Amino acid sequence: MIPLDFITGALLYLLAVGLALSLLVTVIRGARTLRRRRRERVAAPVRGLLLELLCAPEEEQGELLERMARIDRRTWTALEPTVAAMLGKVSGRARTALVRLYEMRGSAAQAVADLGSRSAVRRGRAAQVLGQLRHRPATPSLCRLLDDRDREVRLAAARALGRTGDPAAVPHLLRSLHGPRAVSPKIVTAALTSLGADAWHRLAAGLQDPAPLVRAVAVEVLGVTGAIARTPDIVRALREDPETEVRIRAARALGRLGMPDGLEPLLAAIRPGQPAAPRIVAAGALGSLGAEAATGPLAALLGDPDPHVAGTVARALLRLGPPGEAALRGAVRDRPDTRAAAQARAVLAEAAVGGTRHDVLVEVSL
Amino acid sequence: MARVLVADDDADIRDLVAFKLTQSGHQVTAVEDGMAALRALREGPPDLVLLDIRMPGMSGLDVCRELRAAQETASLPVILITARSQEGDVELGFSAGADDYIVKPFSPRELSSRVNAVLSRAER
Repeated sequence: MIPLDFITGALLYLLAVGLALSLLVTVIRGARTLRRRRRERVAAPVRGLLLELLCAPEEEQGELLERMARIDRRTWTALEPTVAAMLGKVSGRARTALVRLYEMRGSAAQAVADLGSRSAVRRGRAAQVLGQLRHRPATPSLCRLLDDRDREVRLAAARALGRTGDPAAVPHLLRSLHGPRAVSPKIVTAALTSLGADAWHRLAAGLQDPAPLVRAVAVEVLGVTGAIARTPDIVRALREDPETEVRIRAARALGRLGMPDGLEPLLAAIRPGQPAAPRIVAAGALGSLGAEAATGPLAALLGDPDPHVAGTVARALLRLGPPGEAALRGAVRDRPDTRAAAQARAVLAEAAVGGTRHDVLVEVSL
Repeated sequence: MARVLVADDDADIRDLVAFKLTQSGHQVTAVEDGMAALRALREGPPDLVLLDIRMPGMSGLDVCRELRAAQETASLPVILITARSQEGDVELGFSAGADDYIVKPFSPRELSSRVNAVLSRAER
């Protein structure tokens, strides 16, 4: 039996630890609030000047910029987080004025220097500022930060590279997907997507990478950014890539691109005898493609033994419009007691009540 | 001069919108959430309401629906503010009865033009 003294002691100890932690949290929160209030108090006299700059007509911006460039260092340090936040909230002339302000104060150069700081907070903050400024000359330094020892800094660098818009960052972003200091695929995908068409050439090169995750992300981004010029590369990935996940994403990309060149490889991908996941995505992509020629091959799979394949095929037929609908009705009429007819009936009923699901989701992780 | 009510939980946006519209000659009341917006509306109906779609507690969409449901505010012009990543919300905003929308990041000049355009339409 456990002695009562021991239980009492343990409870008192836990209580003391709980109280100490609560006190610590309160002190930290209090200190943060005080610091924020002090910063707001210091920045308050020039906050109006910042708003005036953002709202000023072009001919008045010069003088306001001069005034803001002369703000003392302490006040600027207090105001700068607001200026950095505003960079992401305003566009047009107001944004240009903020970028000019950073240049005039030498803050962009300071941020570049801070990328090499020993403090992870400063490195991350500098990356964030350079991204907001879309400061392309910082690309090489930001690329180096993708291998930073601090996870948050790596994420900030990836986001910043997406904003700078420099396609030279593509191979570095792709490389950051693997290794002990890998960056989250979601962040890398978002950054690569932001780079748009300028990134296509280098993304297509990424389809040859030995790492499946790199190829999967590359093909996904090509689809999302509408890289129709890269359709042959995506078709090759669908046909030849040894990794199922890459083929799945290639099929989805072809559906998104909607190019006729995608039809034949997608039809090949839905044939029986292959893994179900790529077949399902390819069937969904054929529905997105909207090619009438897909009607026959899709209708032939309405009775597929895999219910997910058959269900997706039925919905894809519906998305093809009148020819697909005719095929569904044909299955109900001509093969009334078969699995194909049941699938067709279910989808037609769904459509009749306006509840047809169009999205095909197949989650496979590498 | 028109009376404009602005509701946004982001202090930077709230101050910027209030500053620009005041500069354009409007009388602005700025609040930080949907509930405060409804309270301000009860105290005195404005000529136009600018609502951030995503606010903690009561969203801009909820406020918009409440406005449309009440007879006295049913035709009050409403402009929604949304982030680029939430553009899907715009459709919901129009369903809720909004007259226009502004996407963040926005230019203060564009904001002023949109407000004036919606006010002109409402006057006609």
